[in-house]
Amino acid sequence: MAVNWAQVLLNSVVTGSLYLIGAVGLTLTYGLSGFPNFAHAEFIALGAFVGYLVAEQLGLGLPGALIAAFLATGVVGFLCYRGIFQPLAKRGATIIHLMVASIAVGFILRHSIGAAWTWRPLYFTATWSAYDAGPLRVTGLWIWLIFTAVALAVIMHFVLTKTKIGKAIRATSSNPELALASGINVDRVIWITWFIGAGLAAIAGIFRGADTQIWPMTGWDIILPIFAVVILGGIGNFYGAIVAAFIIGLAENIGVVGLIALGLSTTYRIGIAFVILIITLIVKPQGLAMLFRRA
Amino acid sequence: MDILLYVLDLIVFIGIFGIVALSLNLEFGFAGLANFGKVAFFLIGAYTYALLSQIGLPFYLCLIGGALISAIFGLLISLPALRLRADYLAIAVLAFGEILRLIVKSENWIAGGDWGVTVSPAISLIGASHRVDALINVGLVYFCLLICFLVVQLLANSPYGRTMRAIREDEVAAEALGKDRAKYKAQALMLGSAMAGVAGGLYVQYLHCVLPGMFVPMITFTVWIMVLLGGPANNWGVLLGACLVELFDRGANVAKDYLVLPIDPSSLQYILFGALIILVLLYRPQGLLKESPIKTKALEAARYEKGGVRNKGN
Repeated sequence: MAVNWAQVLLNSVVTGSLYLIGAVGLTLTYGLSGFPNFAHAEFIALGAFVGYLVAEQLGLGLPGALIAAFLATGVVGFLCYRGIFQPLAKRGATIIHLMVASIAVGFILRHSIGAAWTWRPLYFTATWSAYDAGPLRVTGLWIWLIFTAVALAVIMHFVLTKTKIGKAIRATSSNPELALASGINVDRVIWITWFIGAGLAAIAGIFRGADTQIWPMTGWDIILPIFAVVILGGIGNFYGAIVAAFIIGLAENIGVVGLIALGLSTTYRIGIAFVILIITLIVKPQGLAMLFRRA
Repeated sequence: MDILLYVLDLIVFIGIFGIVALSLNLEFGFAGLANFGKVAFFLIGAYTYALLSQIGLPFYLCLIGGALISAIFGLLISLPALRLRADYLAIAVLAFGEILRLIVKSENWIAGGDWGVTVSPAISLIGASHRVDALINVGLVYFCLLICFLVVQLLANSPYGRTMRAIREDEVAAEALGKDRAKYKAQALMLGSAMAGVAGGLYVQYLHCVLPGMFVPMITFTVWIMVLLGGPANNWGVLLGACLVELFDRGANVAKDYLVLPIDPSSLQYILFGALIILVLLYRPQGLLKESPIKTKALEAARYEKGGVRNKGN
């Protein structure tokens, strides 16, 4: 069977873009608050459903959906941090307690979504015209997705290097005590990061939903590769996450070709991310972070 | 509805999940390991039991086989996890559980894939009623629970268990005293996985079937609630936690039929579970029953200066 490698490459870029948007919030909050937020999966799902509400049920279109989902999920992320994780950390909860709490938050959000909407899959009705360019086939949605990911990377780069809040995020991530001593409002830095991180997860949720379907487990379905991106890229490392997202995207899409060639089920594509995750943890737990200056 | 059968069923469930809760208590309570993939080892025990009983082995060999295979996987997953921080271990094991579920779901040749297979009960008497079957299971499950309880209880109060707790409290200090933390962690994961494997075997032989859908991450989470609610590092506490969580589960199922709620009751149940765990973590992180302080003769002697231990000058 002839493999259309150009298409595989394009698919990798699409997958990587989705993972990048989904992973940025997780890696930044992980770096700042010091624990992996498993409820990030539900931020993704919540974003997808809010997007569905705005785009389909209210009929306001995709741009409106993206903005509304970003804001609504961002507020939920902020409330989770302020209402649950911050009080827990102040009471001296260990990292294990924080992780359990984040899973609990995830259950609350997931089942609230299920109760508020439905457990049956929902579909975005907007159809995307497909374009053929040589051997490539690309949909309008994919172009938007790649554009969003590139814009995100560029904007985040400028925010992190040029703006006050970006520098504060990096400072707090690398040394909270020193940041506090330098007069940075660490609390504000952290809650802004939670807001933005959850909001970006929502964007990823809408793209994922528009490309496939949405249900309350939408986020859970892709949380494993997103964790692989965070670990491979180095926790809290934005530039590492960019590279890792495209490595994982590439590995998954090449892996799918391999799985088909071997006659295995393509549902194992998620296993590829798992293998990369485990290898990273064994060989180099700090991930690709050593390639980049800490960001 | 047969009330007695319902109660017996509840008792069996408490016993099975009591075993899993004890195993998590060994790993998390005593050794301080965040095993977020408990269900993976539960699954391994269950599928091993199902496959071994298909080739006609007696039930005790199936249970032991499940425990062994599960322990081997526990050891394997601990190898990358040994050097790892709590968060890395949690992510790795959680992912491991999801992958395993994916495998048994997609591979029809293992045990029927998504549709599962039927599993014959461990002990079946000819012509026995459902009640007698349930009673037999109560006996079998509580026998296993007793063994697991004794093992964990004796371990926890032995020098071995004290070393584990020391590593949990301060890895560096314990290592400075010459304790091999990697070895203790690996052994805790192995033993805990073996116990979870036994519980998995008991579970599928009781329910007479094995399905991938029985091994969702919710199982892991339920067991975590039991341990955290009851009291980590207190074996009586986690058994109490297992009772309370199962009772709450059943109670919610019964209440469902009588209450008219604006929200789907099973969703509400999960939401309440989530809220409960957050409240426990916020207001009573030590659980209902606290960890009992370590008691040894030497400590008592030192405390009361009775001179029970005279080893001056080494």
